Amino acid sequence: MKTYPVKIKVNGKWKEAAVTARDTLLDVLRKKWLAYEVKNGCSEGDCGACTVNLNGKTVNACLVLALQANGKEVTTLKGIGTEQNPHPIQKAFVEKGGIQCGFCSPGMIMSSKALLDKNPVASRSEIREGLSGNLCRCTGYHKIVDAVEHVAKNNQS
Amino acid sequence: MNNMEFLKPASLEDLFQMTKAHKDEVTFIAGGTNLIPQMERGVESPSLIIDVSDLQEMSTITENGNIISIGGSVTIADIAADSIIKTCAPVLADAALQLGNPLTRNRATIGGNLADASPCADTAPPLMTLEATVHIADVDGNIKDVPISKFYLDYRFTALGRGDVITKISFQKQGKSQKGNFSKIGLRKGSAISVINMAILLDFDHDTCKQARIAMGSIAATPIRIYKVEELLEGKKINDALIEECGELVKTEISPITDIRGSAEYRTAVAATLLKRNIKKAIL
Amino acid sequence: MFEKIIENQDKPKYNVIGKPKPRHDAWEKALGKTRYADDFTQPGMLYAKVLRSEYAAANLISIDTGEAEKLPGVEAVLTAKDVPKNETVTKFGQTHEVGGFEGFYRVLADKKIRFKGEAVALVAAETPAIAEQALKLIKVEYEPTEGVYDPIEALKPDAYLVGEKETNLICSYKVIKGDIEKGFEESDLIVENTYKTQMVDHAYLEPESGVAWIDESGIIVIRASTQVIEHFRGIADVLNIPSNKVRVIAPMVGGGFGGKEDITVETFIALLAMKTERPVSLTFTREESILAHGKRHPYVMQYKVGVKNDGKLVALEAKLISDAGGYIYLSPWILMYSTVTAAGPYDYTHVKVDTHSVLTNNTFASANRGFGGVQPCFAYESMLDEVAERLGMSPLELRKKNYLHTGDALVTGRVLEHAVETEQTAEKALAALGEPSKPKSSSHKVGQGFASGMLSYGRMCFLHDTSRSYVSIELDGSVIVRCGVQDIGCGQCSSLAQIAAEVLGVPMEEITVYFGDTALTPLAGTTTATRQLYMSGNATLKAARAIRDTILKKSGEILGITPERLELRDKRIYIKKGPQCTTSYGGSRGDIISSEICVDINQDRYLDLVAVVKACAADGLSLSNLAQFNAPARELVDFTTGQGQVFTDFTYGTHALEVSVDTETGDVEILKYISCYDVGQAINPLSAEGQMEGGAIYGLGQGMCEDVILEKGITKTPTFAEYLIPTSMDAPDITSILVESGGGVGPFGAKGIGEPSCVPSSPAFTNAVSNAIGVRFYDLPVTAEKIMRALGKI
Repeated sequence: MKTYPVKIKVNGKWKEAAVTARDTLLDVLRKKWLAYEVKNGCSEGDCGACTVNLNGKTVNACLVLALQANGKEVTTLKGIGTEQNPHPIQKAFVEKGGIQCGFCSPGMIMSSKALLDKNPVASRSEIREGLSGNLCRCTGYHKIVDAVEHVAKNNQS
Repeated sequence: MNNMEFLKPASLEDLFQMTKAHKDEVTFIAGGTNLIPQMERGVESPSLIIDVSDLQEMSTITENGNIISIGGSVTIADIAADSIIKTCAPVLADAALQLGNPLTRNRATIGGNLADASPCADTAPPLMTLEATVHIADVDGNIKDVPISKFYLDYRFTALGRGDVITKISFQKQGKSQKGNFSKIGLRKGSAISVINMAILLDFDHDTCKQARIAMGSIAATPIRIYKVEELLEGKKINDALIEECGELVKTEISPITDIRGSAEYRTAVAATLLKRNIKKAIL
Repeated sequence: MFEKIIENQDKPKYNVIGKPKPRHDAWEKALGKTRYADDFTQPGMLYAKVLRSEYAAANLISIDTGEAEKLPGVEAVLTAKDVPKNETVTKFGQTHEVGGFEGFYRVLADKKIRFKGEAVALVAAETPAIAEQALKLIKVEYEPTEGVYDPIEALKPDAYLVGEKETNLICSYKVIKGDIEKGFEESDLIVENTYKTQMVDHAYLEPESGVAWIDESGIIVIRASTQVIEHFRGIADVLNIPSNKVRVIAPMVGGGFGGKEDITVETFIALLAMKTERPVSLTFTREESILAHGKRHPYVMQYKVGVKNDGKLVALEAKLISDAGGYIYLSPWILMYSTVTAAGPYDYTHVKVDTHSVLTNNTFASANRGFGGVQPCFAYESMLDEVAERLGMSPLELRKKNYLHTGDALVTGRVLEHAVETEQTAEKALAALGEPSKPKSSSHKVGQGFASGMLSYGRMCFLHDTSRSYVSIELDGSVIVRCGVQDIGCGQCSSLAQIAAEVLGVPMEEITVYFGDTALTPLAGTTTATRQLYMSGNATLKAARAIRDTILKKSGEILGITPERLELRDKRIYIKKGPQCTTSYGGSRGDIISSEICVDINQDRYLDLVAVVKACAADGLSLSNLAQFNAPARELVDFTTGQGQVFTDFTYGTHALEVSVDTETGDVEILKYISCYDVGQAINPLSAEGQMEGGAIYGLGQGMCEDVILEKGITKTPTFAEYLIPTSMDAPDITSILVESGGGVGPFGAKGIGEPSCVPSSPAFTNAVSNAIGVRFYDLPVTAEKIMRALGKI
């Protein structure tokens, strides 16, 4: 099977791997670099569980070929906050009850961050639109919207 | 075993060389939002993929006098957010903002949305109302300009030949006297695939409609213009009776199919509703 | 935004219980540290793929795996003949043998293909791509057969037989109360309708997944996404090895909803690991998940209700038929739930319920959140709205005349001795709904509707359910809970931590919960049936209390007072303040109190917990306890009358909605959504609300958009692009109202909320839509197109 070298900057660090043309960014992140914070829910771009930031834009990592990401920068959930220094959105998800099974959370938090980076004072309906590519089956979304709205309101004041 | 190969041209010239050498095998990828799921399901198994997503020449929105050109690899998100498009082709900006969801919009490209040849492509109806031109390059780099009304040939079949690529789409700015809008109906509100979509662009001379452009998707084998309704509106002052007449007429001008997303009767009924509402919204 | 209302009636004061707390597992999940089943690898791990039937009905003539086996990188190819016990019954953690509850299925297809997607062969290879390639090299010869796809057709005498038995009928139950003929004679109005519900997928975000390996002691270890680690017995049975040679570990599960209640990947990877002696990983694609795990049963329900002009319900005759698809799995258990709840939380004088579960060549159906309680609720709540309309009564007025109350008997004769607050939940939900909003245009219509529902929590009492939990306190005062629960995202572990924190006076953050491992955690039963808080919560409460007793006894000895006068909180032992108590102790016993463990701040005297723990340890007192909680056990109910006790207790609640219907497109916008439940006692109100909100939208999906569409058994909705669950834009804000009667049988009077929370969603939704447009609905989902048809617009 033909492989190609790729070099992708993940959370500030350049990583290298040999991939096939068919491998997606999601495959290389999870299988080669064990970036397990990026989840695989459907492999077809229908659920948003694998949301990462690619060169400043949130994307479904399953809908980007690894080779298409060659030379680019990827930020995953682990790149936006740590235990010592969590992102305010992570904190809000925890405190407002926005997390249940947690499988959608990495993607959901990445999309929330992208939304608030662009629109720091997003309204509830803007939040609902901004998260519409990320499915959640547990929460009914209410507390996720609460969490993002909480951060947006803090941004306002 | 999957022995798919991958090439990434650095320039258009580079692209033509590659496609010429591999004309029979090549499948293009840009945003990948259509192709990758198809590969995942085994519907597509290309032997060679050429990535056109980062081609500089195909990635810009330019304004040249009254003409706007959008590179084939410009993403839907960039179209939705572009200030030129928002002011000079709001009907397209509207459609871009309603396509898929934020994640797919960040990857999906306008070239891909057209080349995929889906009858429900959300950018097709607005581009039809704008009477856009699709600029298609063959493997020798020869460009042919295809009016979008001639781009779609049949179900899942377009004017694109083997190895052809959509380099850009161009159209005239919406005039100040042109009022237009886009709307769609899906099976759910978020991340919806259109069960039916529609764009209209009406040009007014005072309160007389001097030109009407109406296009719909998902109601025939390809997105189509609704010429008869356009003719009905043109040269007339729009009133409620005329709008009702349009609603009735559109039902006979479309030939939707029944599939899991909706029946032909449903599509026909809501086509009339959407059309009437869009016209009303345009004359507000 | 709506205000949250929490009812607190004279209930005991707790320190941790009843407080809205972030889940103890939330931070790890927010930071991306939680390792789910697929977030795991082992050296030398192989990748498995499953060959699945393209046909829904066929005879399996032959399978040739020769070419596949020769492919370089392929380590094993297995078919039915390689499975030691291929024909088996699901027991799902059930330890008490009960006749009539046998969920037959095959591990791999043999003889007859019974549904599309049925597993035919397994491959393990060095890479997923090689495994995928090997699947294409397996030659299967099928002889397609006609099949049967409609449960009513399947019941006919000359119907195609799905399996090898003489009939497609799996089982039938009855409820007989009073004299149904007499009931209809006495009725002033009789309404008769047939209701249908569709097939629904769980659509958890995490597909079925696991890794199996053989450890250094020869134990088969399976780390998988499951709601039931106690499948280790069933897996051992399939492998034909002793139960104690199989270990199942359930990491945090990315959503279950009943879909991971049956065995999914476990036997496949165990068989392949045994064959190859290497670790084997298998994760279903989304398409496989939709094709090949059990769905919610579609039901056909004929309801005939007789009522007096004053609104008193007199007679109910109901016939329910559930489409079980290709294999039995949990159909009998689910049908029993439907049978018991067929009348809902209402009092009818005369009742006759007949229920049947039937095999077809559709995707098999099994457990799904609400477990047979969801489908009848759509029928009985749709019916009551129609009856109310025919009587010219408001839907609430009619229900208020018929709601069951505490102490009343269910139609099965079972007296409901625990709190029944359905009526209160309906009144509160409707009060919160308020006056209808004004329609936004002449083509929009606004409607309000509601539905009440009931569902048991805890398993059927003739299954003699048990749970165990182990609690220990360490020398530094930190606490360990070991409990074999599966945490499927509802806060199962977090609740146990909160209970231990309350009893032992230790902050939740200082409690570690080890869960879901048959080797290391005491068996706690399934995370199903809304039973973990009830069962394992009670077991943990019992274990924690035993340790607290030891600590307080020792503290009493130190202080020279009786333990009853002491309390444990904030890692300290205080002397209770009260009329009979004094905060000073001293006196003749004062000399034995060492200054190390006795602190005096602002005259508030206490002992330090850590010091007392050390003192206990030094004395050789046990600081750990393994407790078992046994649910009340009953005899098997009489299947011919349904009379008897099937459940210990139920959770009751009401959903109320306001919708705006666009009468020219059929589009529905939900303007208000209220969910009100008696949760007994909220252990963690934040979590309880989370369940209610999530349950409301889960159920709403069935009401408005979700549908596994099958054409002659072939799935037309195999991915999330066709199987549409609500997105953040489809889901409305939810107002959750928690009633706390304190009358549950769970810890601190809690009731279970996980499954009951989704039961009335779809009838509440359709009742609201019907109220708006004046047309009733008899089948789900109520899509925009269906609304247009109802309106006569198409």
